[in-house]
Amino acid sequence: MRWRTSFLAYLLLAPLLIWLAVTIAVPVGYLVYLSFTDMGIFGTSATFSGLENFKDVLRSERFWQAGRNTLVWIVGNGLAQVTLAFAVARLLYRRSALTNFLQVWIILPWVVPGVAAVIIWRWMLSSIGIVNFGLEATRLVDSPVSFFAKPSIAMATTIAINSWRWFPLLAVILLAALRNIPSELREAAMVDGATENQTWWYIVLPLLRPVLYVLGLLGTLWSANIFDVIWLLTKGGPSGGTTTLPVYLYEEAFARFSLGTSAAGSVVMAVFVLGFVMLFLRYGWGRELGGRR
Amino acid sequence: MRARNPLRSAGSWVLLLLIVVLVFAPFYWIGSSSFKTPPDVIKYPPSLFPPTWTLQNFQKLFASTDYPSYLTSSLFIALATTLITVTLATLAAYAIYRLEFPGRLTILRLMVGTYVFPSILLLIPLFQVMVQLGLINSLWSLVVANVTFTAPFSVWLMRAFLESIPLELEEAAAIDGAGFFQTLGLVILPLLRPGLATIAIYTFITVWTEFPFASQFIIDDAKRPLPVGLAAIIGQYQIDWGLLAAGAVFMALPVVILFAFVGRYFVEGLTTGALKE
Amino acid sequence: MGNRINFVLVVLLLGGFALAQVDVRLWHMEQPPHRVDRVQELIDAFNAANPDIEVVQEVQNWGDVIPKALSAVRARVQPDILFAIPDFTLTMKATGAVQPVTELANNLHQQHGFLDAAIDPYSYQDEVWAVPLYGMVQSLWYRKDVLAEAGIEPPTTWEELLAAAEALTTEDRYGIGIPGSKSLYADQVIYNFMITAGAKTIFNDDGSIRFDTPETVRAFQYYHDLFQFSPPDSVSWIWGDAEAAFASGRVPMIIQFTTITTFDQQTEDLPANLGVVPIPAPAELGERGNIYYSNGAMVLTGDPAKKAAAEKFLAYLLEPDNYGRFLNMEPALFLPVTADGQEAESFWNDPLVVEYEDQVRTMVDNSAYGALFGFTTGQVFDGIGPISAQNLLSQVVQRVLVDGDSPEDAVTWGQAQMEAATR
Repeated sequence: MRWRTSFLAYLLLAPLLIWLAVTIAVPVGYLVYLSFTDMGIFGTSATFSGLENFKDVLRSERFWQAGRNTLVWIVGNGLAQVTLAFAVARLLYRRSALTNFLQVWIILPWVVPGVAAVIIWRWMLSSIGIVNFGLEATRLVDSPVSFFAKPSIAMATTIAINSWRWFPLLAVILLAALRNIPSELREAAMVDGATENQTWWYIVLPLLRPVLYVLGLLGTLWSANIFDVIWLLTKGGPSGGTTTLPVYLYEEAFARFSLGTSAAGSVVMAVFVLGFVMLFLRYGWGRELGGRR
Repeated sequence: MRARNPLRSAGSWVLLLLIVVLVFAPFYWIGSSSFKTPPDVIKYPPSLFPPTWTLQNFQKLFASTDYPSYLTSSLFIALATTLITVTLATLAAYAIYRLEFPGRLTILRLMVGTYVFPSILLLIPLFQVMVQLGLINSLWSLVVANVTFTAPFSVWLMRAFLESIPLELEEAAAIDGAGFFQTLGLVILPLLRPGLATIAIYTFITVWTEFPFASQFIIDDAKRPLPVGLAAIIGQYQIDWGLLAAGAVFMALPVVILFAFVGRYFVEGLTTGALKE
Repeated sequence: MGNRINFVLVVLLLGGFALAQVDVRLWHMEQPPHRVDRVQELIDAFNAANPDIEVVQEVQNWGDVIPKALSAVRARVQPDILFAIPDFTLTMKATGAVQPVTELANNLHQQHGFLDAAIDPYSYQDEVWAVPLYGMVQSLWYRKDVLAEAGIEPPTTWEELLAAAEALTTEDRYGIGIPGSKSLYADQVIYNFMITAGAKTIFNDDGSIRFDTPETVRAFQYYHDLFQFSPPDSVSWIWGDAEAAFASGRVPMIIQFTTITTFDQQTEDLPANLGVVPIPAPAELGERGNIYYSNGAMVLTGDPAKKAAAEKFLAYLLEPDNYGRFLNMEPALFLPVTADGQEAESFWNDPLVVEYEDQVRTMVDNSAYGALFGFTTGQVFDGIGPISAQNLLSQVVQRVLVDGDSPEDAVTWGQAQMEAATR
């Protein structure tokens, strides 16, 4: 029992914590510093400007618009990915040669770098692409569909492409969790007269809570931070329709050249995200992240 | 087991088929395009099969890019990051989920902070940190940055694996007089193999696809990893679609090969331990 | 004895070179492999001819060079030469890292004769901030057979262009492809129409914005009308999409810098079938004009030896014997910025240029009519940096095409945005 001391714990944690301190705490500290200055183009002179940037950000219609878009983005990605992942996990639940094969290879979209995924999808969805050809050939549409024509459509398309990349990972994790649930539990319930749907709803789902909990928390954080897919697909357009907070912050820093405002915006965003994390940890569906048996 | 409703069963097969098409169609499209001649690639209406098969896109890919060098860089970064992430995350996860000490939950929550700031903005200060560390334009800069963003998640992933190992095993080892590191190495780690495999593969692939850090911190063409190196074949004004497709195929191929060998373990790893109650 | 003295001399000289060797790091964003190879050939020849200088290229990409270059300057690891376009130069100049190259530019002008459109965007505040290296102009590209089949002459006026686009639109073809995306491409294409409508200048002499003018509104109205005959997905187009649509036969007319390489490699058509004419203008104005991107090189080193070496290299690139080889790193896209470059044998003898000589001639001729938004008056205001970087012109395009705003409202909105950017 001698090693179960705090000293040992800190020793084991030290490498990671030092690592994170250098690569996260220092940059974040610098961003926070910048948020109180009026730096425009990065590297130009700056003076202390108090809370001006924060006032600007909170008063900025763009910021709130981006915030709303971010919510749509997170919820849309969440719904799309969870639905698809659940469907896949449930369909692959029964073991067979086919499902064994699929459960490994369905994860393939996840190994494609975002840059490549964007170009491939843009191409397939263009007016000379295979998707529009298919739609026209089957007479589903008369003329090519533009998947980026309106802000709402562009948002949906962007969410779909992003979900294509991420849902397989979610599916495989869910599938793993499902397989961990002893089948006797469901069978016993069905013997007692429960329908199949009822067993999924009342027995399986509650048991999946810890998985959904971690994925819900991290998935939200990851989604909120996604930049490259949106930037490469739409640059935040059309008409700001896909400008989520990271896109807004990037533009503020490198297109409007107001780094101070951008830094302040990222601090505000971080506060919102942290607020979400707190709420999640406190009232979240499931147990405390650090809970133990 | 009661008989299943055949209609319903047919319905789920159709649904499965749809999802399979959705997932794999882009791969088919890219794969078949990579064997098409340049005029066929962008011809409208498009053809599902290459009308004439050609290897010219692949020849061009290997003649015009330094694929082996990109591959070497990518492998180095991915392997080094994986090794370090697995080590750091395992030690930290053991401390957090196995030991009692003041500040345990605080530390766990602080690690969430890694994912709270938009990484696109962290790029600028991180660049300065890398210069201070003397790592700019070194592959190690990418290892350092990638560990940061893969390790915290890996710690959380390890939780369920660790919890599946009975405490009694460790206690028994202690009674037998084993020291901490002996216990860790001889008792815990072997049982943690599925967990280690899971976070290793997760890390490897995350790093394999990473673009922004690689594009910012590497200055020299010769050190570029695959995603950045191959992105360079996409001209700003002209796109050679066949070459692009060939590049995409060869970007995914190494991971596909890897998956052919270890993909099963990844999924099994998740199945036997991950995130379970 | 003589041998020995020679030997000593050689050792001394080599030693001297080794000590005095100057390293010059060059960043450019021309990352397709064949361009990198060509630049390397020129560098190798230069290094061989100048044993005291070692130029190395480090290839970047346009997508994220702004944060990277700013980061590098801040950390003092910036390159000695950095390729640029005019608004990027302005951004970099704010950091204080950009060294004036006025004397060099004047000398080079004496020797080679810079085109106004090439040098003007870099000449302000009594200095020259980058050495122009290559120009890019946009023109109207079309398929001759498709137009001939429809009995349409190559359009020279707005009215003819609109009529042609309408006439060429069929069941499975769109008359013209113009972008409606938030992108630099759409900025460029709409600006062509602003120029020909007589709205090329967006700054008053006092630095205030003069975007909300009847001429600008007219250009956006016209763009809106023309867009009716453009494929629906062109609302998200960037350059490559337009080229692919053109090469695939889906659209017979596009406005683009060049489409020669794509046309040559990705279609089975003969060179004679590729037509190109200047950007049409309203019939009653008839002002010829098109966007002109002057690509240049900034010098970012204050070290006198490095600066001298960097300037020597830039001068070397503009020597007519080398210059064509440099431009033809992407043949039939990059155009000479100097008078003697336009005549240079090394430019015209590239196989692709030979094959498409007529088309390249038109592009070269268009160079004389080039302009770039924010750089048209000899005065340059900082506001153009954010105006370009935010793609404000194409954002106004999107208000018209996507949101259905009237051109008047959209342009008023654009004026307000530009004023905000200037503050």
